[in-house]
Amino acid sequence: MKDLARLALDTAAARGAHYADSRAVEVTREDIQVKNGEVGGLDLSESAGLGVRVLVGGAWGFAATDDLTKDGVERCAAQAVAIGRASASLTHENVRLAPEPAHHSVYASKFAVDPFKVPLERKLDLLFRIDAEMRTVKGVRNAESSLTFQRRRQFFLSTEGSDIEQTITRSGGGFASTAVSDDDVQRRSFPQAEGFHQSLGYEFIESIPFVENARRIAEESVALLTAAQCPAGEHDIILEGSQLALQIHESVGHPTELDRVLGMEANYAGTSFLTLEKQGKLGFGSKIVNLVADATLPDGLATFGFDDDGVQAQRWHIVKDGLFVGYLTSRELAHRVGDGRSRGCVRSDGWHHIPMIRMVNLSLMPGSGSLEDLLQDSDKALLMETNRSWSIDQLRYNFQFKTELAWEIRKGKRVRLLKNPTYQGITTQFWNSCDFICGPEEWKPWGVTNCGKGQPGQVGEMTHGAAPARFRKVQVGAGYED
Amino acid sequence: MRRDEAKSLLDGAIAAAGGEEVEIILGGGTAALTRFANNEITQNVAERRYVLSVRIVQGKRTGRATGNDLSRAGIKRLIDQASAATRLQPEIADLLPLPGKQEHREIDALDPGTETLGPEARASEVGHAVGRCRKAGLAGAGIYEVRSGTIGDYGEISPLAIANSRGLFAYHAGTSAAFRVSALDGAASGWAGHESHRAQDIDGDALSGLAVEKALRSRDPKSWEPGRYTVVLEPAAVADLIQDMAWISFGALLVQEGRSFLSGKIGEKVMGENITLRDDPFHPLHRGAPFDAEGMPTVPTTIIDHGVAKSAVYDRQTAAKEGRESTGHGLPVPNTYGPLARHLVLEGSQGSVADLIGRVDRGLLVTRVWYTNVVDPKSVTLTGMTRDGLFAIEKGKVTHGVRNFRFNQSVIQMLRDVEAMSAAVRSGGVVCPGILAHGFQMSSATQF
Repeated sequence: MKDLARLALDTAAARGAHYADSRAVEVTREDIQVKNGEVGGLDLSESAGLGVRVLVGGAWGFAATDDLTKDGVERCAAQAVAIGRASASLTHENVRLAPEPAHHSVYASKFAVDPFKVPLERKLDLLFRIDAEMRTVKGVRNAESSLTFQRRRQFFLSTEGSDIEQTITRSGGGFASTAVSDDDVQRRSFPQAEGFHQSLGYEFIESIPFVENARRIAEESVALLTAAQCPAGEHDIILEGSQLALQIHESVGHPTELDRVLGMEANYAGTSFLTLEKQGKLGFGSKIVNLVADATLPDGLATFGFDDDGVQAQRWHIVKDGLFVGYLTSRELAHRVGDGRSRGCVRSDGWHHIPMIRMVNLSLMPGSGSLEDLLQDSDKALLMETNRSWSIDQLRYNFQFKTELAWEIRKGKRVRLLKNPTYQGITTQFWNSCDFICGPEEWKPWGVTNCGKGQPGQVGEMTHGAAPARFRKVQVGAGYED
Repeated sequence: MRRDEAKSLLDGAIAAAGGEEVEIILGGGTAALTRFANNEITQNVAERRYVLSVRIVQGKRTGRATGNDLSRAGIKRLIDQASAATRLQPEIADLLPLPGKQEHREIDALDPGTETLGPEARASEVGHAVGRCRKAGLAGAGIYEVRSGTIGDYGEISPLAIANSRGLFAYHAGTSAAFRVSALDGAASGWAGHESHRAQDIDGDALSGLAVEKALRSRDPKSWEPGRYTVVLEPAAVADLIQDMAWISFGALLVQEGRSFLSGKIGEKVMGENITLRDDPFHPLHRGAPFDAEGMPTVPTTIIDHGVAKSAVYDRQTAAKEGRESTGHGLPVPNTYGPLARHLVLEGSQGSVADLIGRVDRGLLVTRVWYTNVVDPKSVTLTGMTRDGLFAIEKGKVTHGVRNFRFNQSVIQMLRDVEAMSAAVRSGGVVCPGILAHGFQMSSATQF
């Protein structure tokens, strides 16, 4: 594969590219699902191909192919150059790449147990045990559980001399119970909605108490059918970590992507309210809010040695003591915020798509105290757990989330289960209302595996670490008010 | 990949399976997309990608392996992997044997001019569009995309050809072209788009003109209070809402499991009499694949007939449970999702969106919606934002821009409250009209 990547570079350069990089990528996956006592899906998949990105006349061209013959690769590189020339006919300024040393490196994520060497029977056995445990609960309509394993090996070569090999292995899984009545569908998931994933091996799966939680989760899904409706109005809310992770993703991560800020996603994902003059000036959140981007976070889904610009992984503040201070940047756009070096946020979801700015791992730094301490500090509040739906406007001001359940908190105690909790707000007002963040003992690196962005659309993966936190006077109940 | 080449490849794969009961799905093709923003080209890409998926059936066991190495050795490896995975699995009680040979109606959906449209031609069309934006002092952003084959919006791949060891073979080739443009003046924006199986139907200049007009009208928007409004939803907005409803409602498995609003309601009036909703790949604006991922012929299916719930869409497994025939809406087997309506048609009426606006005394014109998501599946209550042109309608005329709203609205209720519709067009993969509906709930405002 590396030889093919080299051939693509040489062809692009010979045809007039003044910069080129090529990524030869091999991806292997296992996707296993069990539903209601039977295998619901089992797909072993592999994909190999090559993407070539060029600058010609100061403009980008990109082509990708799965024809990995010499002719196929040369044709692909030539196509990228031809596309770049067409781009150059309609650009204002030449693309300027921020300097980055040429890197020669081999990087591999760590794991103790190779998930692809664990027998399929063992994986199915785990899923069937989870499934059986859920189905002991009367009223469960659907018991669904899944495991996913992925290994991505990539060679990145550039005409600037970088030669980087990276292999990243990730494992994840989860389960959900659904209960239905004539007019209602309720769902509970574990450990988070859409499964919990990290860049680790099968030891990660074995560390999660799936079976131990299956019955409780199933019971909660059935109990929600007859639970009281979450009351509408202004409430203090406590968000459990995995819901807070998605809040971080939507209201902090996306608006700090510099390509969005500069209008490059305007037709699709949108732009951002975090315009350039706000950097270093906007009070994004309360003083206890610290948000850190970190491509070096141990075992994160966006943890790597180098991004797809060939830039070394970094860690920096996005929000420091409540102040908005940083963007997610690329080599192409770093100079637009006065930076001499990219922050290293460029990734592609495969060999077939062009790299672009994607969130790296972005986490809310822990405060202090346990969840129990936070509840004890709350005379009257709603504790909301596990995401069920999400939506935010294209400038990232107005958001609305629904969680699977809420607990009514009175004088520090969970007194009542509530269904259909939704909350809605405006991003900076919300983060400025944060007055309690639990400590490191409650902090977990929650994963997002379905982040959509770009045209053609790409699916990104990243980790958002968070501990439960409290937000004051939040509007609750949209969608169920009348 | 042309029919003969695809058939030869699939026949070879079946032969390589050496008598196993096997199903082979081939998907993929080529896709190219020119992306622009701030009146210049910012990304410009092309890909060629094919995927082969092999499913082995051994009695009540089945396993799948998928890959993109289409060489003889690559195909053999997939067969071996699928076969090994199948042997390790427990039985699936209601797994059906592979279907036999089927008859499929041909659909003319391949336009050679679209298939070969190059980056220069796309740049030229984009040039017209951004020229229009620049002249108006606005920033133009958008895409011009052409595809041949079955690569989807997010890189997902659906069947181009399918064959099995019982003699079934199905093939469908098609092209698509889409141009979408936003014109921006700060937070004020307008949008227009068009999609067809032929690139020659694309007029970037005209679309840009529509987007510019909307953006200029959107300047200095006024704040209206959240509440229930009479709305005129343009087809792009209707398409988004209908598509979301289809995903959570129209598949037979959802209905059988009690998770759809259609559960227990077949034969009952659920929407207004003016609402007829079908799934139909043969509609001239769709020209979609005439078969599903099991190779079964897709039968045009009326889901809502003049407001009455008529039928869900079926795959073989859900059809067998009810002793009926598949309607050809299956996904790759096995799956946990069930069948899916993929070619939605909401029947429209005569006239234009402008005619609908003329009927409104006071209300809102919604260009499109954004980031819709399900709040409540049984009532099909969706939330989302208005986007790229929300306007006041007063005494039959568009009078000024309005700051965008978040909505929380039951789509079923909306389709009970439709007063009038325009002619149907294709938008976002759905054939639908603009609609005039009453009581649409705008629940909170945003900052622009």
